[in-house]
Amino acid sequence: MEQEKGRYLYGVATSERTVRLGPIGIEGCNVYTIPYEDYCAIVHNCPTKPYQSTDDETVKRWVSAHQGVLDEAKERFGTVIPFGFDTILQPGDKATSPDQVVKDWFKGDYERLQTIMEKIKERDEYGVQIFYEPGLIGRQIAEQSQEIQKLKEEIATKSPGMAYVYRQKLEKAVKAEIEKLADKWFKYFYSRVRHRCDDIMVEKTKKADGDRMMLLNISCLVARQKVDNLGEELEKINNMEGFSVHFSGPWPPYSFVAKAVVPIKGE
Amino acid sequence: MQPSRDTHATLVDLLDRVLDKGLIINADLMIHVAGIPLLGVKLNAALAGMETMLKYGIWQDWDEAQRATATEERRRKEEVSLIAGQ
Repeated sequence: MEQEKGRYLYGVATSERTVRLGPIGIEGCNVYTIPYEDYCAIVHNCPTKPYQSTDDETVKRWVSAHQGVLDEAKERFGTVIPFGFDTILQPGDKATSPDQVVKDWFKGDYERLQTIMEKIKERDEYGVQIFYEPGLIGRQIAEQSQEIQKLKEEIATKSPGMAYVYRQKLEKAVKAEIEKLADKWFKYFYSRVRHRCDDIMVEKTKKADGDRMMLLNISCLVARQKVDNLGEELEKINNMEGFSVHFSGPWPPYSFVAKAVVPIKGE
Repeated sequence: MQPSRDTHATLVDLLDRVLDKGLIINADLMIHVAGIPLLGVKLNAALAGMETMLKYGIWQDWDEAQRATATEERRRKEEVSLIAGQ
């Protein structure tokens, strides 16, 4: 169809066949594979314009469908290199067919795909976030730090005005101590988790819900038979007083396929 | 400990990955996505982090000003794309 000259890409798998996966794509689009040598691209046909919406529910539905196709592809083909949302190829001129654009891209990127496929083969991505409770940790610090103990004793003897100033001093001292500790914990937990992954990416920490603070936010690439080891280690951390762990997955290795793109000049 | 994929917190993990990551390819072949397509979700993600601050009444004015600016910006961009589409 004239208006469906775009090819929305979900992922790349190892298969030489043209396979029809059915109407499981975004907005019920028919998903199928375009083979090139020993690989295939998992695609649907679409107009040459991106999916755009300012409605959260619509975007969530699209994103879930995108993920759903990759789940199905993993079932069928094993390992899949995932694309991010809204990766659409279009022919540069009228003479080129949309499928040819996909094949041309395969040709140009073949070696990079091989490297990535080798790296992520039989592996999945997991999201790991470690949180701490500043209140509880703060109390523990207050009990242990002599400086803080001393400040507390002094507060008891001060006038209300001065006590206020001291309490602020105290809060600042506890906060500084927590920051120092957080740095230590970060390294400690990172090394404990790192040993149980094939690769790891440190992500930005975010504001957490409730009274928790996010200490560590990482993506882990883990061989499928080794994920239990990671789970056991995280369970130990989760059982530590004042700490908790959020463990999500398995995801396609989204965080481990974006590297090794075009090297930045000077690197 | 078993990994999970079906909680609200996990949806954020999914959005983070699908919207910002994945294989990147030569831009010549690709359709370019303008800066605003998924504003709905992005705004929400930013707001989730601000709840704590708002709880304590900090940044209330800042937040309102920020929202007003975002709305204005969106309106302008929509106008531009309307004109471009004509």
